[in-house]
Amino acid sequence: MSWESVIPNVFARDAHPNASRVAVPPMDDEAFAGFYARSARSLWAYLARTSGDPALAEDLMQESYVRFLCATLREEGEVAARRYLFRIATNLLRDHWRRPRAASIEEIPENYFAHSGDAALADSQMMLGPALAQMRPRDRQLLWLAHAEGYSHREIAEVTGLGSASIRLLLFRARRKIARLLGEEECGREL
Amino acid sequence: MMLRTCPREKEVKELVERGQWPQACAPELRTHVGGCRICGELVLVTAAFQRARAEAAGAAKVGSPGVLWWRAQLRRRNEAVERIGRPILGAQIFALAVNLLLAVALVVWQARHGVAWLTWLEQLPQTATLHLDSLWSSALLDFGWNWMVMIPVLATLALLGGVVVYLVSEKQ
Repeated sequence: MSWESVIPNVFARDAHPNASRVAVPPMDDEAFAGFYARSARSLWAYLARTSGDPALAEDLMQESYVRFLCATLREEGEVAARRYLFRIATNLLRDHWRRPRAASIEEIPENYFAHSGDAALADSQMMLGPALAQMRPRDRQLLWLAHAEGYSHREIAEVTGLGSASIRLLLFRARRKIARLLGEEECGREL
Repeated sequence: MMLRTCPREKEVKELVERGQWPQACAPELRTHVGGCRICGELVLVTAAFQRARAEAAGAAKVGSPGVLWWRAQLRRRNEAVERIGRPILGAQIFALAVNLLLAVALVVWQARHGVAWLTWLEQLPQTATLHLDSLWSSALLDFGWNWMVMIPVLATLALLGGVVVYLVSEKQ
């Protein structure tokens, strides 16, 4: 017997028929296990690469899933659920960046993230790591969502909470910058 | 910075994401990418991110979903209990307010009618024998219907006071 049956109508508000969008019933443990198996690795990769801290990525990933399970989904389907999960993770990451410095995310110097922690050292073995470390946190998020996860501008706007038109310009600039950095990396290796 | 786009951008991106670049694409498209700065950058960046994603996903430390599931259940239950607790707190405040109101009303009412029962209390020890009959008769004779109101009011106050004490102790 679950606790919801002992305390009835606790979530009656969520299931109200006049709600603007119909609430999707929460996942059961088996459905969640399947969803977790399909999404956990990409979520961890997103958090680890954009934060540059694997331990932080693990913590934020766990918190993202717990919040995801506690939330009421408004759209059905795995794609929407996955997008919602990335949205939670993006917000948690943003909160984390804002908290210790007590400053705007835009004011954090780019080189603050360069070569910080083990992940950055591990990344130095690869081509993308050093270039990514020189990008602004928000640009890293945008680039990852667009080029690693393959999200459209509209989907990135949903995940990050930014305007769709802004995404287009921000992504264009970020892509140009990282392409230049990657080009320099390649030239450096050839020499 | 000028926002420039290429009409073949989407096509190129899909090929790279599906892992079909450059082997499974037309030579004409390869020539285009070679000459187009936008598409060249897109291939470079997308391919690098796809590789990074594959490597990072392989190195991911993924825990048990069961633990997360139970943590979420616990949090949901706590949130629900908290949600239920809010009306109880409201009821406690309401009960306290009713008690205070009744107490004030009683004091005002007694002040208006004169504190007659105090004189009766003062006379009580002076009576030689304290029989129930004399108590009843004196009470009914001296104060008339006042007792008929006083007793239910005092009983209500006592009852509500008890409820308030119980609810406050339960909360703590």
